[in-house]
Amino acid sequence: MSSAAIEVESRLFRALAVLRVVVLVNAVGLTVYRFDNFVSPAAALVCILVMVGWTAFAVWAYAAPGRRTAVLVGADLAIALGLLLVTPLVKGPGFQASVPGFWVSGALLACAIHYRWIGGLLAGLALAAVDLGLRQEIDQSIYGNAFLLVIGGGVVGYMCESVQRMALERDEAERAAARAEERARLARAVHDGVLQVLALVQRRGGELGGDAAELGRLAGEQERGLRALIRGEQSGRGPAAGLVDLAAALAELETGTVTVSGPATAVEMPARPAEEIVAATRAALDNVRRHVGEDARAWVLLQAFPDHVEVSVRDDGPGISEGRIIEAGAQGRLGISESIRGRIEDLGGKAELITGATGTEWELTVPRTGVNG
Amino acid sequence: MSRVMVVDDHPMWRDAVERDLVAAGFDVVAAASTGREAITRFAATRPEVVVLDLHIPEPDGVQVTTEIIALRPATKVLILSASGEQNDVLAAVKAGATGYLVKSASRDELLDAVRRVAAGDPVFTPGLAGLVLGEFQHSAATEVRGDKPTLTDRETEILKLVAKGLSYRQIAERLVLSHRTVQNHVQNILRKLQMHNRVELTRYAIEQGLDGD
Repeated sequence: MSSAAIEVESRLFRALAVLRVVVLVNAVGLTVYRFDNFVSPAAALVCILVMVGWTAFAVWAYAAPGRRTAVLVGADLAIALGLLLVTPLVKGPGFQASVPGFWVSGALLACAIHYRWIGGLLAGLALAAVDLGLRQEIDQSIYGNAFLLVIGGGVVGYMCESVQRMALERDEAERAAARAEERARLARAVHDGVLQVLALVQRRGGELGGDAAELGRLAGEQERGLRALIRGEQSGRGPAAGLVDLAAALAELETGTVTVSGPATAVEMPARPAEEIVAATRAALDNVRRHVGEDARAWVLLQAFPDHVEVSVRDDGPGISEGRIIEAGAQGRLGISESIRGRIEDLGGKAELITGATGTEWELTVPRTGVNG
Repeated sequence: MSRVMVVDDHPMWRDAVERDLVAAGFDVVAAASTGREAITRFAATRPEVVVLDLHIPEPDGVQVTTEIIALRPATKVLILSASGEQNDVLAAVKAGATGYLVKSASRDELLDAVRRVAAGDPVFTPGLAGLVLGEFQHSAATEVRGDKPTLTDRETEILKLVAKGLSYRQIAERLVLSHRTVQNHVQNILRKLQMHNRVELTRYAIEQGLDGD
């Protein structure tokens, strides 16, 4: 048996120990109360001593997993059945209540906990059969009690099995999480080393010039790619099901000339609007390359508010003159701008183009409707 | 020239940075490869500027920043990080670092950054400005107690422009302010961010029952 299953059993047996004491007090109390129902005071006393003694022994015996043997459980059930069987002898054949009464539930539940639903069911059947077999007449409540024994044993056994399975699954999940955590830790160490080397190659390459500069440029590309990947995989950044992290998605647009900034925490959004925002941002960056130059610098800034997100894409080009926009519109050449606007307006947001001496800037504002956090 | 300490566990990086700093005329008084070495050597040599990699053997760069600032609050800490793990960068700046640069920055950018932090001028890259903006926006949206300082509208505006890649000079022009005023605003932003850290530490202490006795 796995440690998780043993732990579950131990907890249940600890709870059962309390129940055993409760039903013992009940049984002893009823015996004393109906003392004159017994054929002899000595017989009643012996029965009480057996129940007290066995309860004490059972509480001790079941406490350690190693002592929970078939012999112990068998003896437990045998004593309960034995006390039922002597009832006609010590209380006369026409007895009302059996000697142990509810005390038999201790043995019943021990069978159920240790042997699951089948143990509980068989113990319940045995106890019910003996109890009913001894009766001269069976009324509704006697039948009801016997029926509860059978049902209760099976149900408790089944529950015990389910809880054990859940504990096993939980343990497995915890182990998987620990393994993933360790892998992530190792990956961070490896990634950091690789990043250090790539950054160094990029730096030295740039200083040496010539072929080395090309090597440095390639190292720089890889370095940014890896950094964007790591940014999306930081601990605590896994977005909930159906949502994506807009900050990580935008970070992938970073290149040697494009800087992407945003909050340190994940910005969770449903997949479709996030994809549209990334597509609009990419279109705006394409626009910068086309109109300002291949190596034009650009900055993307993501801001997250409870009810909306703002993405700004700025270049430091000469700006677009008012006349040129109108002219381009007249010639139907506003393709990219219209596609950015269209995408954002479809999401219920707005896209504004601001142009001036310090470059041209797209401001994309999109509501986060139906998204929490 | 300023007295500088370089902390990095990669020998080739440490040497490259040290060489560049010495060539530019800085006085490199110490180098360290672990957090523990960094703290001991800092106490022994008292550099004015610490160029610090965040990923170093225990204690990490954030803790080293905290210790160094506690030992000598006027120290300027410039974070030089390869991975740019954003939570770490933000934590280091909250702990008192006044600049952050990714390792892929060029030699000139590095030297310029060291000169600027040495002169008491925070080095805010657009990336760092984005993180700080995110931190203030997050606390504005989630704070209920209101004991964390918030940014004024002007400070938020300036931070946004830094995050959008404008230089202090361009910001000064656009907002019709002096360069010095923009610098002061940026310094205030950093100071408020570091107070966030103190508020969080105090709350933590109160929650853990460490404030009474």
